[in-house]
Amino acid sequence: MPSVEVMIEAQALTKRFGGTLAVDELSFTVAPGQVTGFLGPNGAGKSTTMRMIVGLDRPTAGTVTVAGRPYREHPAPLCQVGSLLDAKAVHRGRSARNHLLALAQTHGIGRGRVDEVLETVGLSTVADRRAGGFSLGMGQRLGIAAALLGDPAVVILDEPVNGLDPDGVLWVRNLLKGLAAEGRTVLVSSHLMSEMAVTAEHLVIVGRGRLLADTTVADLIARVAVGSVLVRSPDAGELAELLTAHGAALTAVEPGLFQAAGLGAEKIGELARGGGLALHELTPRRASLEEAYMELTREAVEYR
Amino acid sequence: MRITFARVVRSEFTKLRSLRSTWLTLGTVLLLAVGLAAAIGYGVRRSVQSGEPAPSVADAVAVALLPMDFLMLVIGVFGILQISGEYGSGAIRATLTAVPRRWPVLGAKAVALIGLTAPVLAVTCLAAFLACQAGIGPDGATLGDPAVPRAIAGAAGAAVLMGLLGLGIGAMLRHTAGAITTLVVLLMVVPVLLGPVLPGEREEKVLKFVPALAGQAMYSLHGDGAPFEMLTPGAAVTVLVGWAAALLLGGVAVLRRRDG
Repeated sequence: MPSVEVMIEAQALTKRFGGTLAVDELSFTVAPGQVTGFLGPNGAGKSTTMRMIVGLDRPTAGTVTVAGRPYREHPAPLCQVGSLLDAKAVHRGRSARNHLLALAQTHGIGRGRVDEVLETVGLSTVADRRAGGFSLGMGQRLGIAAALLGDPAVVILDEPVNGLDPDGVLWVRNLLKGLAAEGRTVLVSSHLMSEMAVTAEHLVIVGRGRLLADTTVADLIARVAVGSVLVRSPDAGELAELLTAHGAALTAVEPGLFQAAGLGAEKIGELARGGGLALHELTPRRASLEEAYMELTREAVEYR
Repeated sequence: MRITFARVVRSEFTKLRSLRSTWLTLGTVLLLAVGLAAAIGYGVRRSVQSGEPAPSVADAVAVALLPMDFLMLVIGVFGILQISGEYGSGAIRATLTAVPRRWPVLGAKAVALIGLTAPVLAVTCLAAFLACQAGIGPDGATLGDPAVPRAIAGAAGAAVLMGLLGLGIGAMLRHTAGAITTLVVLLMVVPVLLGPVLPGEREEKVLKFVPALAGQAMYSLHGDGAPFEMLTPGAAVTVLVGWAAALLLGGVAVLRRRDG
């Protein structure tokens, strides 16, 4: 595995489809040895970006390189980058084994390796069945097998857990972590923060084709955390007036209970004491990763 | 491990051989070509028995290869599906990711198509000829008659070239239905429509260059005779190779320029 710090580098990557700007001057880097989550709402440009990385789509402007070179300039691209972009990229009439064999033969990869990846993804027993009869989950597994075929330094997977049952989801998570632990570069897209929260260490977040954040999971929470305080009081009405006067934004939860944003718990406690108002509960709430993500992408969600 | 053209060719052979539809299509062409030729030959024997003149060698060859006139279209569709099937299923994305320079994919598909269909079609045309002559009986032509082997090879070659024509059209249009429509128009509608469109003597000059008639010229022994002016077999090969090359180059251009 080459010991470089940057395996994927996008510079002002732009893709326009007719009048639609799918990817808008996107710049980011992906480092080896960890799982990088590529996150964004549906239609944010994740798939298009991934397609540009492996040369399926031509950028309108900007560049993207893998290990320092455009994908198509690698003499053995499958050994450099393994990708799953579309689970059903298989001819329905062809068996899983022959699909993989045809891909392997372009690079001179042997039949033994085909058997190996079939074993890895758990498709050995159905390897000679026509892929047209595969479930979505089996299709995903076949796509992952194809991605692993060249024993690549970089693995790019677009929504790999789509259509998988809970066992399959767990299997993908462990696979991704295992690949990263071997020193490989792993870029995996998802529109679900919850999924990325358990697999990714680094996050590249996009919305409407633009970069929203290039950050670690921990930093993201700290950065976007709105932070609010849950306040329960028998004097809720008076307390609410007092806090509003000091600049807090309140949201009623139920009678006698509201959520205050813009003031810390300490400040609220002091204000209550100063006003002679009783407090029954004062709970600071940290924004969850999910909320942080929602906050970040709210603007960028495309309303159709 | 790296990409070489020979390896991409091997991969394309694997793709062709691993589809049941490949063998169904080629098997059907073989059975129809031979079966129809035998039936036509038997029909000729009955005509001769009822007092019609015995067929000339040219006629005996023409009736034997008559089914190939139409089966060419099947081979053309086979060529289309070799690539449009990948677009339809999405497999093209896996293919182009494995070979991102793209042009070797179409080149290798062409080589694999020739490699697989040429022997099958040579056997088909030979068997069709023999079956037809068996049907005609003692008045039939033989392989020893002048230019007969050339006509059989010409029919097989024309069919292979129709496959390449289809492959080129498929690569340019990507969609199976649109590509098949285009092929049918090119092979069957254009020759019929050119007549009314073009003025008299120009029709004679242009018509012989359309793929369907250039193809037939490759296996006709009638020479410059009826029903219309034909190219010589050698010129016909050049013209049809030109058609296939032009369409394949068009396919390469589309493949390189457009997003996969």
